[in-house]
Amino acid sequence: MSVQLNKYFKYGLVILLSMALILFTQQIKLLKDPASTPVEWMTIMGLLTLWLFSMIGVLLSDLMKKTPIKILQEFPMLGWVAVTSLFLCMFFDFFVEAIGYVDFLAITTPILTFAGISVVDRLVDLRKTSWKVGIVAVFVFTGTYVGSALLSELGLFLANK
Amino acid sequence: MKRNYVILLVFALIVITAAEMIGTQSLSFGAFSISLLPLAFAILITMILGLPVIRKGFLKKIYSKANVQFSSKYLIFIMLPLMARYGADVAPQLREILNVGWVFIAQELGNLGTVLFGLPVALLIGLRREAIGATLGLGREGELAYISEKYTLESKEGQGVLSLYIIGTLFGTIFFSLIAPIMLDIGFRVEALAMASGVGSASMMTASSATLIERVPEMESTILGYAAASQLLTSFLGTFTMVFLAVPLQRFLYNKLTKTKKQPEVPADVRAAE
Repeated sequence: MSVQLNKYFKYGLVILLSMALILFTQQIKLLKDPASTPVEWMTIMGLLTLWLFSMIGVLLSDLMKKTPIKILQEFPMLGWVAVTSLFLCMFFDFFVEAIGYVDFLAITTPILTFAGISVVDRLVDLRKTSWKVGIVAVFVFTGTYVGSALLSELGLFLANK
Repeated sequence: MKRNYVILLVFALIVITAAEMIGTQSLSFGAFSISLLPLAFAILITMILGLPVIRKGFLKKIYSKANVQFSSKYLIFIMLPLMARYGADVAPQLREILNVGWVFIAQELGNLGTVLFGLPVALLIGLRREAIGATLGLGREGELAYISEKYTLESKEGQGVLSLYIIGTLFGTIFFSLIAPIMLDIGFRVEALAMASGVGSASMMTASSATLIERVPEMESTILGYAAASQLLTSFLGTFTMVFLAVPLQRFLYNKLTKTKKQPEVPADVRAAE
């Protein structure tokens, strides 16, 4: 049990670190462009809300791994956090308002910073991939994006939106 | 050990500051204009400084084994607040989204574009069994799991999906921040592109939707709501789309295309396997 608690304590701290980085980024954005999203008390409330939803999502994801239903077991943790947030935001407008005080792009820069650091040791693996797959990748990525965009465009047209 | 993490944190703060100070840079090429956001600079800076040629001296300390491991192990937790934010973007628009819910479901089929666009090209340039792994989907965890279960990762199919996984991890974000504005310039509606952004990888979806917001800021809430809703749907339906639609479609196309050409196994195939 104490191992369990320890694990969640660690996750909680990492998510808290993420919050601190978001706050930092939002402040830097403000220095660069005074017209961007201000840092206010509500920003702190918004960050705390994001932290709370993340933690609930983590717990939910672990709980669902114990259910016998495969699709629930395999649904990713990132998805559970989004579902948690979606559900709670539907019932409490306060959450939506508070989260709105957190600049969207300020959330993204720290993530991509750590994403970049996390992949550097895979750069050498590129040598193992053939240039042919590199070419194919461009078509694969374009394919899914253009495919979905064409169907969405058609669908929205038919829905008269 | 602790000092190690402090160095990592300070480095992250410096990179964030640099990326934010560079800000958003727009480049125009004729009718097309692309914008690189701070998030793109953040990943570019950290990747370039981490290149083995450049990673010398103090940089080696920053990119220590422990720090790189920390980043990849906890990246998913650092990303969680972003997912929580997406929930708040979908909630106020849920009614509107459900109104066109069938469009969201229909565009999931667009993910078959990986097979339709990718497979012919892959076969054309001489890939064979690698093409199965490299075009089944975006090459994220779902495809990786399926291919490794069916063919193992040591097989040629496995090499295909692994290569795509590595390429996507390294360049996916950059790619989607470039393609989104280009599609906008071609004339696609921003709502359609927002829906298309939910490709199944959180960072690629974020790159695409953030770039769209940069171009059409007054639609921010719609873009985020649509992209996040489509992403959630992909997480739910992705496996089904792959197993029941992408796999049969791929098999059909593969047999059809390799038969009509009657090409013998090309030696390039063997070389690629090395």
